[in-house]
Parts: sequence; structure tokens; C-alpha cells
Amino acid sequence: MIERVLDAARARATAADAHWQRVERTSIAFEAGRLKACGISEASGVNLRVVHNGRVGIAGTTAEDVDDLVARALASAELGESLDMVFPAAAPLPVVFTQAARAAAAPLERLTAIGHELVKRVSRDGCQVNVSIEREVAETRIANTAGVDATYPATGVAVSVDLTRFAGEDVLLIYDFYAGVDLPEPAELDALVQTIEDRFAPALRVVGPPEGSLPVVFTPSGQAAILLPLEQALSGKSVLQGVSPLAGKEGAQLFDERFALTDDPLVAGRPGSRPVDDEGVPSRVVPLVERGVVRQFVYDLETAARAKTASTGHGSRGTFGKPRIGYSNLVVGPGASDARAPASVRRLGGGLIDGIADGLVVDDLIGVGQGNVIGGAFSHPVALAFRVQRGEITGRVKDAAVAGNVYELLKRIGGFGNDGRWMGSRWAASLRLEGVSVARR
Amino acid sequence: MKDRLRAALKASRADYTEIRIEHTWSASVSYRGARLESATASEDRGGFVRALNRGCGWGTAAFTSLDQLLPMVARATELSRAVRLDEPIHLAAVTPSVADVILDLDGDVRGVPLAEKKRLLEGYNGEMLAVPGVVDTVASYRDEITEYWYANSEGTQLHELRPEVALSGTAIARRDGTIEKGLESVGLRRGWNGVHDHAAGFREAARRAAALLDAPTVKGGTYPVILDNELAGVFIHEAFGHLSEADFVYENPQAREMMMLGRRFGRPVLNAGDNGAAPGLRGTLPFDDEGTPTQDTPLIREGILVGRLHSRETAAKLGERPTGNARAISFRHPPIVRMTNTYIGNGQGTVADLIQDIPLGVYACSAWGGQTVLENFSFTAAYGYMIRDGAQAELVKDVVLAGNLFQTLDRIERIAGDFRWNQLGGGCGKGGQSPLAVTEGAPHMRIEQALVGGDVPA
Repeated sequence: MIERVLDAARARATAADAHWQRVERTSIAFEAGRLKACGISEASGVNLRVVHNGRVGIAGTTAEDVDDLVARALASAELGESLDMVFPAAAPLPVVFTQAARAAAAPLERLTAIGHELVKRVSRDGCQVNVSIEREVAETRIANTAGVDATYPATGVAVSVDLTRFAGEDVLLIYDFYAGVDLPEPAELDALVQTIEDRFAPALRVVGPPEGSLPVVFTPSGQAAILLPLEQALSGKSVLQGVSPLAGKEGAQLFDERFALTDDPLVAGRPGSRPVDDEGVPSRVVPLVERGVVRQFVYDLETAARAKTASTGHGSRGTFGKPRIGYSNLVVGPGASDARAPASVRRLGGGLIDGIADGLVVDDLIGVGQGNVIGGAFSHPVALAFRVQRGEITGRVKDAAVAGNVYELLKRIGGFGNDGRWMGSRWAASLRLEGVSVARR
Repeated sequence: MKDRLRAALKASRADYTEIRIEHTWSASVSYRGARLESATASEDRGGFVRALNRGCGWGTAAFTSLDQLLPMVARATELSRAVRLDEPIHLAAVTPSVADVILDLDGDVRGVPLAEKKRLLEGYNGEMLAVPGVVDTVASYRDEITEYWYANSEGTQLHELRPEVALSGTAIARRDGTIEKGLESVGLRRGWNGVHDHAAGFREAARRAAALLDAPTVKGGTYPVILDNELAGVFIHEAFGHLSEADFVYENPQAREMMMLGRRFGRPVLNAGDNGAAPGLRGTLPFDDEGTPTQDTPLIREGILVGRLHSRETAAKLGERPTGNARAISFRHPPIVRMTNTYIGNGQGTVADLIQDIPLGVYACSAWGGQTVLENFSFTAAYGYMIRDGAQAELVKDVVLAGNLFQTLDRIERIAGDFRWNQLGGGCGKGGQSPLAVTEGAPHMRIEQALVGGDVPA
């Protein structure tokens, strides 16, 4: 379909690019330990962008009417602002592992077997276990009138487990997931089970929260509140809009020397791995923060054109709406090379709790993403957190909230843990921050 | 289309089969600052088949190629057979409906040129940009009309046109390093006639953003808290509504015990419910996505838990009646138990009455968002005021409410008589399905004691 779309667009517009994707998904749901539902979905769609009279327009469809699609894109361009957007020319693409034949070929029984195994290993008396398994087989094609015509296949497997325990009015929820291009290896399933076990035992004892300005260890799954402000502030779009607190500070030492953040689309087999972005720009590794110094903001074609710079290959696009800036795989911390090592089983706290007289390990927070995120200030109740006293985890803390400012806290990192792991498209180890406000209620 | 659905159901070899087909036309316009981000029109269509066989689980198939309808019915049937269950799935009985329901399109948005939609939003965006102190805005307009067909093997056949419009604006004010926001949001199950006359709301949002630049951060601590209509609505949806969705309890004896009907959840002032049949609201539809008619379902009456929200499966499992709450955000998803228009019932008096005897408290207004993890919740108010000596005092910012659901419901001590439906945009997310059009409504209410996050003194 993409050829017909581009041909029709070429005849009526100055330039055009199109993104086509077909995704077949198989999903399996275990509820309360029982296999409950199986589903498939098959969807394809095309997103077309045109440049017409120096203005940019966009349209998307899952239907098959090419003329209508082009007409809508042109109507959109009539309203668009003038922009000197240049589509990339064809270029060699890096080789990236995005498709695992065995994941694509795995029959339903193979996928349900993973679920049965996890249910068996995670189940406990008085607890409910839900498991979901999803397998995706996708094909993506990006083409433009400047000569790009890139196609790549991809597979994806996501396995998630949650364990819920009700005891009176106390509800305990522990959750973990695996996501990758291939089926999980036995070691990766072991790590999943270990994560749940590691948290379950100390969670059975509920202790009162500490209070004050304290050291807090944020586990890999507990770091969203710390990273989200940075992700927003490093977007070229935030810079263009004048809302990024990091704008104009490239080259300045803003954070602890040990802090680094890297966007890595080339790492093998992760959900964000890809040879090319959704606008036809070849993928490359982009250091965003190195040794605490901001190095690079990320751009897609449009924001790059407006900022008079080059796209960093961060165009992300679906069937509907226009391309937006999106990260591929984010690697947090100093050891970007660790992120290429295989999964390992590591303990809660990542070895960072020794020497903490009184503090917290935060595994999950409530309400991340609400409020004025980019400003860096956060204040969240804990969903799952543990108290640390005299270097030991003494129990689960319920009625506590943590608060602070990310840009300030990252100036004095107390250490990175030895529990680095992939959480979908993000690699992180536990992170110890000093002087986090902890309140009780 | 109706004939194709009938033929496909006839060809199905499953014990129960249902098919949804949706064809959606939508348009959206967005501004960032003075700049048009995009103005675009989209077309989306596809279908969803769900099949159930005796002794088996659900098999589902979603697809964008409508010529695949027959093979997809076969696939769903096959997938259902692949799931063997010891405990069979039953569906509570629903009288089959045959209906051609054309909701009032109220000005068919498909007949309005994209340029006019752009002009409308440009005006609202301009209202925000004109306010001193505002350095940036995000504004959006979105409309859609979905032509909807539903049929199942029990004889239900529905055909509907579902309209929806939404407007939203965020004004961003900045001075030195301080950034503040103000939000306006409108979501209606209406057409083009519903999107005019909203300039004042956008202006107000921008003025509030600018005013917040000078507002202090609320001092963290425990206070008597008044929630305004919007925040009270978000509260009942997030903190209580999700627990009343029967799929949360139906497979779990402990959870069922926690949500046992007859249990006291609050004081006698507290009444709450969910009404999918309330006229003219965004969460309103004549039928849910299992073909069950929508209704008003009381959930809490005088503080006592009296009901919950059901799909046909959860109703059968718990021996209760379906409530018309099985909803899917689109043909890409199965129907799951969801809210529609969730409310706190009216009380008595005015907000001034609630405030007058509070020496020191917080009046929390409007919501940036809210999240609940089981019995714990967190809500971020868009802004708030201190209450001092029984009167509304200075504007404060960063008002985050956190607490335990059970304790907090039990601390709702007074409810005013100023009920209002909040016709907001946005939507609800659950099970990977977001955003679902829902509405919330509430009067002002007073919580005896609640934890307000803010600056925590070290």
C-alpha cells in the first residue's frame, strides 16, 4: 500500500513520507492462576505526511482509500505552518537484532507453558496470581520521496506477573515483567520469580515509616519519578518551547559525576531496538548525559528543522497523528556497557543499604507523571517500599510519602547498585539518593 | 453490515459469539504556544469478535481488514477451545435488544471544515496567550463520530452513531525558574454545537497559572480538607469506583470480603453511584459493549456498600445482575468492567457552610490527575487555598492529597448541596485501555483529616 500512497502523494505534493506498520499480536491472560482468555489481533495502518507549498500536513488511516488519505493530508497541509522540512536521503542502516525467529514461530502452547510455569512458581497461599503473555510480530516500513525505503521485521514478547495478597484492609501488590524481542530465557524467568520472592518475604511485616531527610534507594522499577523529568527536559521540543530547565546548559556539570543517560537503539533484542527511526533516520547511540554533564537534546525531523539542527533519530510515529519525539532504549547510570551483559539475579536494594542507619527502599510510587513533572519537584506516596534500619530491611512501609527535587537530588548520588537490569526498554540499577524528604501520615 | 454480521454469527460454531464493528471519523487540532502543531483528520475502522465455548475460556480476535470477518470468527472460536477451564464461564441473562439508536449528533462534525475547527481553537488558545505571565500553551480540539454495530448469537443487534467532542488547554506561566500551569478541559457526548462559548474557561485557566507564580507551596501535613466538585468527582472515581468494578473481586475471595455488600464504607452522609444512562454525558450510552442496557447503579447508600459494577460474566459469577458496565475503548480491545458517569450524591448547604468552622485547613481544587494502587491513592490538585479562621485565604500550590481509601471515605464528614457533573475531557485508563470517555460528578465535600503533601520539612 505504501507505494500507492507515495505515488499518489508525489503527484500532488512537493515531498512526502509514509510509515506503514502491520502488527499481529497474540495475548494470553491467566486470572487468579487460571488460563482465562486467548486473543489475537491483526492491525495495519498507514501514516502519511506531505509537504505542499512549503507547509506540512498529516493524515492516517486503517482503511484502504488512498485518494481520501492524500486529500486529507493536503487539507491538513493547507492549515499547517511554513517549515523548511527536509526528508532524509537513503543511507546505509546499522544491523540490529529486532526479530527472533523462535518468538515469531512459538505456538500458543509454548506461550501458555510460560504462564503455567510462572503461576506454579509464584503462587502462595492466600494470594492471587495474574500472568499475562503477549507476543507481537510486526513489520514496519518507512519510505519517502527523497529515496528512503526501509523495512524491518520485529518481534516482541512481554510477560508480566502480579501477586496480590489481601489481609483485612491491607492489600499487597507485587509486580514484575519481562519484555524483549525473544522469548524469555530460563534465567530471565528465574529473575522474575526472584524479584517477587525478594519482595514478598519482607513485605509480610508492616513497620512504621521513618520521617525526615533520609537516604532512599530507588530500585530499577522505582525510578520513574526520578527519570521522567529528565526525559521531558532533554526533549528538543521542550527546549524549543522554552520550558526545559536544562536548556542552554549543555556542557555544564549539573549532576553527580557518576550519572549518565544514554539512548541506545542498537542494543540487541530490546523493545526499543531498531535500525531506523519512524522518519527514516538511521539509528545511532546518543549519549544524553555523560559524567553528569548534559551533552545532547533529542530531536525528530520537525523539531530539528525548527531548531535549525539535525534530527538525532528520535522520530516516533503511529498510524494516527504526527510523528513525535520518542526515546528508543534508555540506559541509566555509569555502566552503559553493563547493559549489554546478560540478565542476572540480584538482591533487593542492590547492595546499597549497608550503612543506611534509617531510610527507605522504594520499589513503586503512586501518581508518577501527575503535576508539573518537568520542573523536577515530586511528591508521591509509596505503593511498595521497605524500611531500612541499621543496614537491614526491617519490613514494608505503607503510609509514607517521598518528596524532593530531581535536579537537586542527582547532584549527590549515594551510589549505584549491583542489580542493574532491563525493565522493558530501560536499563537501570538501584540508585541511592541522599536527603530525600520522607513523611508519614 | 447488519446482514454481514448475521451471516457471520450464523457461520460461527461457538456456543456464544459476539461481533463489534466500528468505523470512526475523527479530527484533531492542536496548538503549542502561538504555533499550530497539527490539524488532521483520521479514519479508523475494524472489528472485534469474542467467542465462548462450554467448558472453555474466551477467544478473541481484533482486526482492521473487514473482509476477514468470517475467518476471524473461526479464529476466535478456535482460541476459545484452546482454553480449558475446570470452572466454566457463565454469562448472566440479558434480554436481547434490537435497536437503531442514533444519538443526537448535535451538529455533525463531519460537515465542518478542518479550517473552522482550527479557527475555533486558535481563538481559545489566543485567550490564554493574552494573559500576562503566560509564556506557553498547549491547546487541543478533538472530535469523533463512530458508527457502531454490535450483534451477538443471542439475538441482540445494535446500530448506533456515537458523537464526541473534547477541548483542552494548558496555560504555562513562567518567571525565572518557576513554572506553573493552569488547565481547562471540556469533554461532551455532543457535536459541533457543543464546542462554542468556552472562552471564559480558557481565560480563567491562564489567569490561575499566572497567579500560582506568586503562590507559596502548601506546607505538608494533616489538615481538614475541602474538595471542590471536580476533585471530589475524581476522588470517587479513582479511590472508590475502581474497587467497585466487580472484576477486581470476582476471582478473589479476600477481595470479595473486603468489598462485601452491606459493609459500612462511610458515614450516613455518603451516597455514591454510577449512571451510564444519565442524559447528555460523555460516559452515557444506551448499551454497553455486551449489548446490556445501561442504568443507574447505586454503590454506596447512606455509607453502606450496596452495589457494584458488572459485566455479564462477573454478574453471573457473583449471582448479581448485569449493570451495563462492560466497555471497550475500541474494536482493538475486549469489553471489561468500567465506570460510566460516577457520582457522589448531593448533600446540603454551600461550600461556605463547610468552611466556616475550620480554623486551619486546605481547600483543594480541580485535579491534575489521580492514581490509586488498591487501597492507597494520590491526587494532585491543580491549585488550592488555605482555609484560615473559617474563611478561604491565600492561594497555594503543589497540593497533593494522599491517603488510605477506607480511612478517607470514613472521614468524609460533610457534603454540600451543590452537585455538578464535571464535563471534563481526558479519560480513564485500565487494563491497557485508555482513554475511556467517563464523567464524574459531585458536590463539595469535607474530609475531617487528610494528608496533604507539599514541602516536607527536613
